[in-house]
Amino acid sequence: MIENIKEIYRYREMLKNLVKKDLRTRYKGSFLGFLWTFVNPLLQLIVYTIIFSTVMRINIDKFYMFLFVGLLPWIFFSTSVQVSAGTIIANKDLVKKIYFPREILPLSVVTSGLVNLLFGFIIIFISLIISKIGITVSLVYLPIVIIVEYIITLAFSFLVSALNVYFRDLEHILGIVMMAWFYFTPIIFPIRMIPKEYLKYFFLNPMTPIIVSYKDILYYGRSPDFLMLGISMLIGLLIIIFSYNVFKILQKNFAEEI
Amino acid sequence: MDVIKVKDVWKKYKIYHDKGSTLKERILFKNRNRYEERWALKGIDLDIKKGETVGLIGENGSGKSTLLKLLTKIIYPNKGEIEIKGKVSSLLELGAGFHPDMTGRENIYMNASIFGLTKEEIDKKLDDIISFSGLEDFIDNPVRTYSSGMYMRLAFSVAINVDADILLIDEVLAVGDTSFQKKCIEKMVELKNKGVTIVFVSHDNNMVKRLCDKAIWLKNGNIASQGIVKDVINNYLDHLNTKSNIKCTEDSKNEINSTNNQVISEREVSIEKEEVKDIKPANKNKRWGNKYVEILQVDMFDKDNKSKHIFISGETVRISIKYKVNKKVDDVVFGIGIFRDDEVCCYGTNTFIDNYKIDKLTGRIDVEIDNLNLITGKYYLDVAVHDKFGLPYDYIKKILSFNVETRTEEIGVVRLAHKWHIL
Repeated sequence: MIENIKEIYRYREMLKNLVKKDLRTRYKGSFLGFLWTFVNPLLQLIVYTIIFSTVMRINIDKFYMFLFVGLLPWIFFSTSVQVSAGTIIANKDLVKKIYFPREILPLSVVTSGLVNLLFGFIIIFISLIISKIGITVSLVYLPIVIIVEYIITLAFSFLVSALNVYFRDLEHILGIVMMAWFYFTPIIFPIRMIPKEYLKYFFLNPMTPIIVSYKDILYYGRSPDFLMLGISMLIGLLIIIFSYNVFKILQKNFAEEI
Repeated sequence: MDVIKVKDVWKKYKIYHDKGSTLKERILFKNRNRYEERWALKGIDLDIKKGETVGLIGENGSGKSTLLKLLTKIIYPNKGEIEIKGKVSSLLELGAGFHPDMTGRENIYMNASIFGLTKEEIDKKLDDIISFSGLEDFIDNPVRTYSSGMYMRLAFSVAINVDADILLIDEVLAVGDTSFQKKCIEKMVELKNKGVTIVFVSHDNNMVKRLCDKAIWLKNGNIASQGIVKDVINNYLDHLNTKSNIKCTEDSKNEINSTNNQVISEREVSIEKEEVKDIKPANKNKRWGNKYVEILQVDMFDKDNKSKHIFISGETVRISIKYKVNKKVDDVVFGIGIFRDDEVCCYGTNTFIDNYKIDKLTGRIDVEIDNLNLITGKYYLDVAVHDKFGLPYDYIKKILSFNVETRTEEIGVVRLAHKWHIL
């Protein structure tokens, strides 16, 4: 494991280049291009806001902000996992011809998603200030939550990117899985609306503590539940060790399978 | 010190008849995933010492590329162990990871980073890479504007300038023009002298002889022979020769049968048969072409018109080619080639090169060599008749073999006319 991490570190320039390439094609080298990547999340935000504040009427003050602070991190998770699923196939020329640690590929997907999320936080901060919710000192805890989310996202990305080589329709199945996962994570609704007897099941979902923490820090302006976050971190580490090992085993046949 | 250790490595490929690669297919059509197994490598044992240059030879499908891919860790063995010490760079296929829209310079950074170099390392190497590629004027143009030769040159320059301890090369040296090839070989020699271990696959036996300290001949997934380069290559060539002899004898049998069938309907049955017989003993090797013009008989004569197959160096030789025309053709070029038994082409020419125009097809053409000044050895004669673009009517390889003897102990291929001046 340590050897592997060392090797990934040795290939950091490749990781950097892949991330840069991805961001450059995404932003097309301009600020407008960068804003363009927020069209999709903004549309989602508008739709959910209209439905859940006028039709389904969840009684939350400034619902759009409540939603926004959870939606962006969710999009980071879901797109990273979905893009990772196809990344080995998309880079098959490389995988078949050159040796490099294959984990660089999902790693670069998640990392460029992270960079995108960090830019997104700037927009979140601006919106928080404009909407007069404001930002508080609890913001110092934000990096911890981001790190935990990064680890969990990476864990699932390793898993699906390796599995998708063997089961090509996983990429499409993931679309449905992600939609279900979205609704079973307290993004649109606050956690207090979940009936008591079901609450524990929601916490089986590793994304629940993450989203709840983001909302605590950004929307409610209070410190997150550290016990919950700590457990979440621990679970994150466990699943990343598991999924990384699965990846390591499955990657041996990548060049032959694609 | 062994830097590459391969212990009893086996590798099989699964050849699927109808492969299901989705979850749905794998669950629903379980029996669709039938496959055949093919062992590409069957128990390879190999030790390569630091600084050795090793040539892998063998026929297509003998497992050379599989072995290289295993050493690179692109694929993994089914059984056995591979131990590699040091940084590996591989040139299995060039230009993987090049981005057409990025400039040459950007692609150097991208590509070198895939080989595991850091930014600082690439910065240091950049000038070397660019000057080696010889693409200074184009380096800031997008790679899509490059010709395929330029593309390969850039790719090769990056791959070979990665500071590796072990370099694995798969038949990629046939890159670019002759001068670039020469540069590549010089670079390999330079790396070799620096102590880089090089393993390369090649079908160019002469290059293997020139560069390698050791050769390994792979045959059907096994090591057929390894060790001293010359011996291994000779074993390999022997094997190829016997194999092609067997094949060609069968071919020529078939050919003769079919010719015979044709001939029966013709009138000149007896003559044809005789002529076919004449060609038979020589026709042990390869022959191809559409037979619009067909070579019937070839022989060599000395100055007294005596048919001979052993010559003294310097003798006058006449090669006589008898042929017949099966179909009217516009232009005809006759050619000969003399090869030494180790496949070195000693001399070749044809009537087109020599500016002879052939207007009449009389059924016989002779070529006279005033001075056959070859050095002692066994030689083969190739004879061909083709159109002026090289499309063969009839091409016969090794139609004859002859020996040349020299009275002196000169070495080389030909005797160059010379004098010594003591001043």
